[in-house]
Amino acid sequence: MMENVGAFGIITGFASSFWPVWLCLAAVFVVIYFFKKQLGIFGRLFNSNVGILGVILCLFWVFTAIFADVIAPLDPRVQVSIMQNAVPGSINPDTGMVFLFGGDLLARDVFSRVVYGARIVLTIAPAATMIAFLVGITLGLPAGYFGGRIDSILSFFANLVLAFPVILLFYLLVTPGIMETWLPYALGGGLFVFPTLFFFVLFYTRFYGRNDKLVPYLAATVIAGGWIWMNLMSTSTFIAKLNDAGLTWIGSLLNWRIFNIFGVDPNELNIFIAVVFASAPGVFRIVRGLTLDIQTRDYVAAAQTRGETPWYIMLWELLPNARGPLIVDACLRIGYTTILLGTLGFFGLGMGPESPDWGTTIKDGSQVAQLRLYYWQGVAPALALMSLVLGLNLLADALREESLRD
Amino acid sequence: MVDMKDQTPILEIEDLNISFFTRAGEIPAVMDFSCKVMPGEAMGLVGESGCGKSTVALGVMRYLGGNGAIVGGKIKFKGRDMAEMSEEELQSVRGSEIAMIYQEPMASLNPAMKIGQQLMEVPMIHSGVGKKEAYAMALDVVTSVRLPDPERILKSYPHQLSGGQQQRIVIAMALMAKPSLLILDEPTTALDVTVEAGIVQLVKELGKKYGTSMLFISHNLGLILETCDRICVMYSGEAVETGTIGDVFDEMRHPYTQALFRSIPLPGADKNLRPLVAIPGNFPLPHERPPGCNFGPRCDYFVAGRCDAQDIKMATIGKNERHNSRCLRIEEIDWNAKVVASATGRKAEIGDVVLKVDNLKKYYEVAANALFGGGESRVVKANETVSFETREAETLAIVGESGCGKSTLAKVLMGLETATSGKVLMGNLEIQGTAIQDRGAATVSKIQMVFQNPFDTLNPSHLVGKQIIRALEKFNIGNSDADREERMLKLLDLVKLPRAFAKRMPRQLSGGQKQRVGIARAFAGNPKIVVADEPVSALDVSVQAAVTDLLMEIQRDNKTTMLFISHDLSIVRYLSDRIMVMYLGHVVEQGPTDAVFAPPYHPYTEALLSAVPIADTSIEKKHVVLEGDIPSAVNPPPGCPFQTRCRWKSRVPGNRCETEVPVMKEIAPENWSKCHLDDAVLAEMEPVITQRNTAPKAKAKPNEPVALAQMATSNRAKPRKPVDAKAGTTSKAAAKAMMAAPLEKAKLKASATKSPVVKAATDGRPTAIRKPAKPDDLKMIAGVGPKLEGVLNGLGIYQFSQIASWKKAEREWVDGYLKFKGRIERDEWQKQAKALAKGGEAEYIKVFGKKPR
Repeated sequence: MMENVGAFGIITGFASSFWPVWLCLAAVFVVIYFFKKQLGIFGRLFNSNVGILGVILCLFWVFTAIFADVIAPLDPRVQVSIMQNAVPGSINPDTGMVFLFGGDLLARDVFSRVVYGARIVLTIAPAATMIAFLVGITLGLPAGYFGGRIDSILSFFANLVLAFPVILLFYLLVTPGIMETWLPYALGGGLFVFPTLFFFVLFYTRFYGRNDKLVPYLAATVIAGGWIWMNLMSTSTFIAKLNDAGLTWIGSLLNWRIFNIFGVDPNELNIFIAVVFASAPGVFRIVRGLTLDIQTRDYVAAAQTRGETPWYIMLWELLPNARGPLIVDACLRIGYTTILLGTLGFFGLGMGPESPDWGTTIKDGSQVAQLRLYYWQGVAPALALMSLVLGLNLLADALREESLRD
Repeated sequence: MVDMKDQTPILEIEDLNISFFTRAGEIPAVMDFSCKVMPGEAMGLVGESGCGKSTVALGVMRYLGGNGAIVGGKIKFKGRDMAEMSEEELQSVRGSEIAMIYQEPMASLNPAMKIGQQLMEVPMIHSGVGKKEAYAMALDVVTSVRLPDPERILKSYPHQLSGGQQQRIVIAMALMAKPSLLILDEPTTALDVTVEAGIVQLVKELGKKYGTSMLFISHNLGLILETCDRICVMYSGEAVETGTIGDVFDEMRHPYTQALFRSIPLPGADKNLRPLVAIPGNFPLPHERPPGCNFGPRCDYFVAGRCDAQDIKMATIGKNERHNSRCLRIEEIDWNAKVVASATGRKAEIGDVVLKVDNLKKYYEVAANALFGGGESRVVKANETVSFETREAETLAIVGESGCGKSTLAKVLMGLETATSGKVLMGNLEIQGTAIQDRGAATVSKIQMVFQNPFDTLNPSHLVGKQIIRALEKFNIGNSDADREERMLKLLDLVKLPRAFAKRMPRQLSGGQKQRVGIARAFAGNPKIVVADEPVSALDVSVQAAVTDLLMEIQRDNKTTMLFISHDLSIVRYLSDRIMVMYLGHVVEQGPTDAVFAPPYHPYTEALLSAVPIADTSIEKKHVVLEGDIPSAVNPPPGCPFQTRCRWKSRVPGNRCETEVPVMKEIAPENWSKCHLDDAVLAEMEPVITQRNTAPKAKAKPNEPVALAQMATSNRAKPRKPVDAKAGTTSKAAAKAMMAAPLEKAKLKASATKSPVVKAATDGRPTAIRKPAKPDDLKMIAGVGPKLEGVLNGLGIYQFSQIASWKKAEREWVDGYLKFKGRIERDEWQKQAKALAKGGEAEYIKVFGKKPR
């Protein structure tokens, strides 16, 4: 039997490992305490306990993701064979290191996996949500604003996607058979164009007719957007596919160093596309509804009567006034996406089998032969997932409450 | 009213204090409020938004929500303190003893329940009667609120009824329990004027029939005058004056009440002679109330050191125990002093035609399903054959109720919609088919719009200054950002806002200030035409006057043509040169303001005039209540659009009203009406608004404009004392007659044939004669139409020779009497009359080289 630090030891060990997180949280609270008045609604969040709890939970995981290297004692993939299925709090007899949350079937440190898992979840979920929002906004605004045929067609497709069983959709998108076709890349390429398109139209409508400002803004948008697009798309599988198809010049273009500053793993790209594809219709419907409502306001008519173009009205008159509900929805949606990522991981879709993301870790934990004996392997990442989603929901609730109060 | 002394009041409120508890701490909403409502009495509670009138009502119902509380005082209902009642007792009192009617009828009805069920619920819960009995009661009460086909109504859902019908149902529901007190919180604000008139009459009748006491909350003084016995004026959480309608309307003793009356337009006031007197400053926010008198900072009679020294208590006025005012200086202020009008603007010269609309039609097609097509498409006929023209510096008012097509017309003019057929000419440019995105910046900036809702007119997400600058950018005005910035600041100066407002967000501005920014934005491109869509109707009364005056001042200085869309006839009378009345997409009457306000009317105009509540006790109105609702524009009635509700329909022979759309015909000079009635019937029409012939009061009415005095002094050389043909009246009535000249004229006309009084000329009044057997056709004189002829006949003028012999004094007297100057001179009436008197038509042709009219 291995030595164990006991419950108290686990708690103190846990608390001390997260020291950079506590430090940052304290700093944030000090700043907010002094600048509460200037922060508007975000300052007012701290008036309610729900808001404070939400912020703490969310920031806890954000800082954990940032400082994962410092917090986690081990690499999430390292196996320490002696620690296989070790009980939480066990001490590695060789190194004297404590496995706070025990070891899993493959003798990896569960604690380290949970900490590193936060990093994966907190990059993919917000990024995918953001892109889903840009897609949803770019399509939802014209659907609501113009109405008529455009609305009918876009809504029809949104409903089509929404009506398709999500898990089945993911299964299809990430099955090897489909991954070998062009479909994921076409979808990804298409979806990733939306942010650039969005900002292009945003600046174009604002500065049209004033070339001194228009040109630099548009140039910056196109360059930044294109660069990000190239980086996202420069996965090895896509390049291989391009080369196979004889489009070697595109392949070699994507192989340039500047387009490989940050990249995503082919599996992650698929997950990303799947998540964006599944949540964009939801955003679309919300934006469309908000547009229908805000469109009736006099300031929209005022903009029309001074000859503004539809896209200016949508992006500069309508959208800023829809921000409240959209921010709340974004918080909730990051939560959903987190769960979705967990679900995908649980089904073994997308992420590699070694990946420390929470869904995969829960799956690994639940596949242990005697789950009852080694419950911590699944419970630890599940608790992490739960607390993050809870934090996001509380944050959304508090934002909604505070924005309604006067 | 019965003797009050022996009765217990239905409702007695003593020193009520209500506060709301918010993040900013305790905010007193009602302070030191006392009032008594006797059995069968109707009490009006009047004040601007935010003055606490609705809070009082909710306080009475003990329904203040989570953050409101009664912090002091007593509310006694039938002598019992409501604070001592248990929750169950309160519940039975609410609904069965006190009923409340709210502003939005749709919000008071359960959309998922049939009307019948909702009505039957009341007696079933409160008096435990059976289903059958409840149904009978429901049927009975629906009949008593005069809804057609009660059984069908009971079977329908709320959304199947119109707004007016819904409000009747809400009233019926309130009456089901036979309450002793009915609280009406702005019950008609969401409704059209003609519908409002019906509801008001209904409430009055029902009050009498059931002997219910009423607490009537409104911001509309005219409405209170029509419905209530007593009135309580509130300002910033306090009652400032209470008394009977007569006391408060005629002998007001609080500066706020006085200022309120001076800031509302009364029919009869001319815009250039008597500008409205706006109350300076803004309504104080509840947590920023000044020390001492709340009205102090805005009061003309403010004395520093006294008015702001202590809280001011209600005081009785003289011996009248039931007339109270919250003012320290009741005894010191000269309440009869004349109003000093701030600036008497001169009238801008009316120029050339700027906008011409010819036979404009706008139909909308409403398709059932856009994606898959199919389904039947219906056509909404929003505008039918609209024709008019307006000139430079002119104000054309477009009047009509909701659904009459006035907003569609504005949209077509603005280019937000394109016309189905017809022409819109702006200058020489045809714009009916050019949508706004196809119009150049120059065209767009030439025609701009001021919107109705101040809380919606500015984008809440952008700075005020930025929004004006954006308009300048769009209109290609200014060379650089700095230049535009400067112009923006100048525009803020123009609308009398501090320049610092450029850096504010719209939410930091009050309603009136936002509307000013809206005006600045509309005038950014120096427009030729400004379409003002009910620009002040959503503002508080005291602010309305200031914004109206500002709008007119800018218009006068820039010689802008203004199309003023409104449903408020008082304000229209005050500011417009010409009026166009619309109904169901048709222009039914159009003409100069005075002519439209005087008979003969189009039947719809008559109803509209009679519906507008006037806050003046000396005005007598004829009641014309329209039955039914405005038909749908999808399925308009055949023939005349107004035939379904017209009370004159029986006077048109045959069924022409139902088969033929009438054509425009001139019923008075330049006054066109779309009606089948013939001249004889039109001549029978009596004026709707008349000045009551009351015994002269020693003191002038406080709301009598000083303009009158100015007119009198400037015309002292030619004292005018028209002797009313009907009854010898006093100088005051005479002065009033001048004010409401067209109305009086009309009255004269109506009575002219009955009493051809012969009276010796005094003070320049031309000699009158008895009606000769063969009176001359005065209409042959260019400039005299049938209406003027009637007026002249009323003065006892029947022959050309009479006109030909007028001396200067007489001419001026007639000028003043007819209320337009220069026409007699300009049209050379006397020269024409001389010629006609001498040799008839032949002589006329000889002198003028053309045939008389």
